[in-house]
Amino acid sequence: MWERILQIIRKEFRQALREPRMRAIVIGPPLIQTIVFGFAVNLDIEHVRLGWMDLDRTAESRELRHAFDGSPVFTIDHQADSEAAAQALLDRNEVQAVVRIAPGFSSDIRSGKQTEVQILLDGSNSNTAAIIGNYASAVIARRNQQLLGERQRQKLVDRTAAGPVLLRIPGVQPVRRVWFNPELKSRNYFVPGVVVNIITLVTLLLTALSIVREKELGTMEQIMVTPIRPIELILGKTIPFAIIGMVDMILVTAIALLLFHVPLRGNFLLLGFSSALFILSTLGIGLFMSTISETQQQAMMSTFFFFMPAFTLSGFNFPIANMPLPVQWITYLNPLRYFMDIVRGIFLKGIGIEILWPQMAMLAVIGVSILFVSALRFRKRLD
Amino acid sequence: MQPRNGSAVEVRSLVKRFNSFVAVDRVTLDVARGEIFGFLGPNGAGKSTTIRILCGLLAPTEGSARVHGFNVATQPELVKKSIGYMSQKFSLYDDLTVEENLEFFSGVYGVPRNVRPLRQAYALKMAGLEGEEHTMTRLLAGGWKQRLALGCAILHQPPILFLDEPTSGVDPIARRQFWDLIYAMAESGTTVFVSTHYMEEAEYCHRLALMYKGRTIALGTPAELKASHGPGATMNDVFIASIEHEEAESR
Amino acid sequence: MSFRRYSAIFRKEGLHILRDWRSLAMALGVPILLLILFGYALTLDVDRIPTVIYDQDGSPQSREVVERFRGSRFFSIVERQGDYREIIRRIDNSTALVGVVIPRDFARKVAGNEVAEVQLLFDGSDSNTASIAAGYAEALVLAYSSELRERQVIRRGAGKMPPPIDARVRVVYNNELKSRNFIVPGLIAVILMIIAALLTSLTIAREWENGTMEQLLSTPVRPTELLLGKLSAYFVLGMADMAIALALGVSVFGVPMRGSLLLLIFASALYLFGALCWGILLSTVTRSQLLAFQVALISSFLPAFLLSGFIFAIPDMPFVIQQFTRIVPARYFVALLKGIFLKGVGVSVLWADILFLFVYAVLVFALASRTMRQKMA
Repeated sequence: MWERILQIIRKEFRQALREPRMRAIVIGPPLIQTIVFGFAVNLDIEHVRLGWMDLDRTAESRELRHAFDGSPVFTIDHQADSEAAAQALLDRNEVQAVVRIAPGFSSDIRSGKQTEVQILLDGSNSNTAAIIGNYASAVIARRNQQLLGERQRQKLVDRTAAGPVLLRIPGVQPVRRVWFNPELKSRNYFVPGVVVNIITLVTLLLTALSIVREKELGTMEQIMVTPIRPIELILGKTIPFAIIGMVDMILVTAIALLLFHVPLRGNFLLLGFSSALFILSTLGIGLFMSTISETQQQAMMSTFFFFMPAFTLSGFNFPIANMPLPVQWITYLNPLRYFMDIVRGIFLKGIGIEILWPQMAMLAVIGVSILFVSALRFRKRLD
Repeated sequence: MQPRNGSAVEVRSLVKRFNSFVAVDRVTLDVARGEIFGFLGPNGAGKSTTIRILCGLLAPTEGSARVHGFNVATQPELVKKSIGYMSQKFSLYDDLTVEENLEFFSGVYGVPRNVRPLRQAYALKMAGLEGEEHTMTRLLAGGWKQRLALGCAILHQPPILFLDEPTSGVDPIARRQFWDLIYAMAESGTTVFVSTHYMEEAEYCHRLALMYKGRTIALGTPAELKASHGPGATMNDVFIASIEHEEAESR
Repeated sequence: MSFRRYSAIFRKEGLHILRDWRSLAMALGVPILLLILFGYALTLDVDRIPTVIYDQDGSPQSREVVERFRGSRFFSIVERQGDYREIIRRIDNSTALVGVVIPRDFARKVAGNEVAEVQLLFDGSDSNTASIAAGYAEALVLAYSSELRERQVIRRGAGKMPPPIDARVRVVYNNELKSRNFIVPGLIAVILMIIAALLTSLTIAREWENGTMEQLLSTPVRPTELLLGKLSAYFVLGMADMAIALALGVSVFGVPMRGSLLLLIFASALYLFGALCWGILLSTVTRSQLLAFQVALISSFLPAFLLSGFIFAIPDMPFVIQQFTRIVPARYFVALLKGIFLKGVGVSVLWADILFLFVYAVLVFALASRTMRQKMA
């Protein structure tokens, strides 16, 4: 039995690695994808381009401007002196937000009245807009605390008959502690996720397309008339891609550590073992795609139809907890979801099998069931 | 594999339907051991479908067929151990060398390791491809590709060989050489079941079945068939007459 | 260039597409699938963050803070009386993202007019959710703090004192701040890329693999005719997809379409044409479906998804990558889509993007037809 399986594996590697450009395909796409994902997938908002529209032009309004300038997030690089100019800045995408100070700002503050500052946000990217809105409100809140503190002290001091004594007032200070990723770099979160993406794509596509290719070329028929058993054929056609998947996993991990300095806090062997468990599912699905496709184009489309939802519903960048409930239930069937948890858990949290066993068990169950169903469908028959 | 008693191929009222289309319609025939059995008929007559059923690639809808004593519907894997098959479409790996193809197929046919070099050398010699071991298969000319395909199909020394239009698209000289190979096979005791649409090739067979619209419309040795259509009849005459007769019957 | 030969190729290609009903269904299903995913299932908006409370103080004051968290729609308390071990366990297995610890001396400090602390612990592994959660939690604590101060100030008879500056946030273009509204228009760029580059990358490679290319070469058909014939068939498919995406996006998902429909169709046609030529170019060069598909995935789908500003903002990318996005056509098309859909701006603002798409389409077409001429000769 192993003899025949080895023979197919050898053939598969020969075909896959003979041509330089085919060799490049094993290494190239994972490399490019990791680098692009690592650099491009970034939800950190570090530089907000701000437009400044000051219709008051007083010491108080300049104070507020300093408060924004002092924040590491905002860069004020455009001025607007009319509503139309502010609108144009937003239209042309030159700024992401405009702070608008109305005339009378300083006189209101001096007379103790509440005054209004408008923050115009470009909402076309709602996520960025919400965060920018929070940041801007925080800057103003801090300024308020300052102004209010001064004023309250003044009043309290005024009312003390004994003279100018500073009184203490209570306050509550939030103290933030962030675990696992103290600088909140989104790269640390996304790069490990790329491992999931690449293993899935490589193993799924190669399995499905290579089998369908043999169907298209007629060589599958030639193999089907040999006494080879279906299980031998399946193992022979899938093991090479499992190996390529594992190599890619190691490659991506290496890039994550060396280029992106993502911490790997957990056990690498556990990561390898979980990848192997996960590959069971992707190979099974690839095999299934090959049983329902006659042409490579069909196989490609079917694969794509599986991959897009599976990937976007894996929690890679859209948190599963925010999805509608029925969709959340569906994700329990998604092997990518469990593998995503495992990979991030091992990389960032450094947790081990004692916490990750449920996810690993699910991967094993899903993988074995899918492989089993696909193997049943995979007949050595043409009809 | 011990040879079984009885015919090499035994087909009884075989029917194959694809939805409403009847591809094979109540075909019955026997092929004796060591015979070269020809399957003659125009394209779309159901030759390839029948051969695929006999190879265990398609399940019959009705009727039964035994190859080397094994039932093709229930024991397809045992059938596959006893046959070699060459499809009408060239189906070796273009991107492997001659030697790698031979090696691969001896592997999947389960040829024991110790005899493998011998068998591969034999197949190479038979195909006349000695010295071309390291040539990429896609670079071979049509006739040579077919001979390599035949070489790959006999690596495990099957008692029965199914050849589905092995010579289509091959030049006449290469075709002649290919038939020499078939004769050599038969002489060494292999049963050869071959389909073709070339009339002159029909003459080379020991016995023939004429197939038309899924049915066998004539069966016998080339001499018998020609004799039944009067003196001086060629194979071509037999073919056309049988089809006309069949058309008239069905009307 | 013969129109008859061109239309023969076009018809054949159309028949291929129509005959393979499964691929066709999937090609037309792509926009529906992606719209449902991105319009319904996926959102970057954060709320109901699972939170563990550890109230060491247990005083009326500390319970007030807890009540604040309970009342907020951004937090959902999964454990009211946790401890450190519980917080660690839940953050480790991802059943909570935030831990709130109120120290034992909380009430004492507040009563003594000192500054008390509330510890906020975050699972930083999901940095985006964590930073949004941190923003909400800190704002909540600070709001409580200023209320506390104000109460104290009022008690001492200083009178009510509102915050001097009132920040009014006004959102232009997408005022409900729905992530759907910016994702759906950008999605059209991704959908067209899938149809154009991925599907066409296979078409010529398939002819080489199946040997039908040799057959075509023996006919008097010219490379440009072959190119345009194949291209037109997929162009029709792509425009159909774009129509489906537009109709569904506007009618089902309520995405605003503020700009000119004509401009949208024109821009889409330009972008689609360039993408189709790119797919055919790859197909001609690689001659292998597997290879062509992989290269198409890397060179068209991936940039359209990641480097176009569709979800991930270009200004936040490193400088080198930002420069690289300048040669990604999807970047210009996404800018066009957002401009037309959300901002309702016209040619006067968007002409540069249109010009780029035009130049790109012409260049890739020239390259594709030259390559095909060489390969077919």
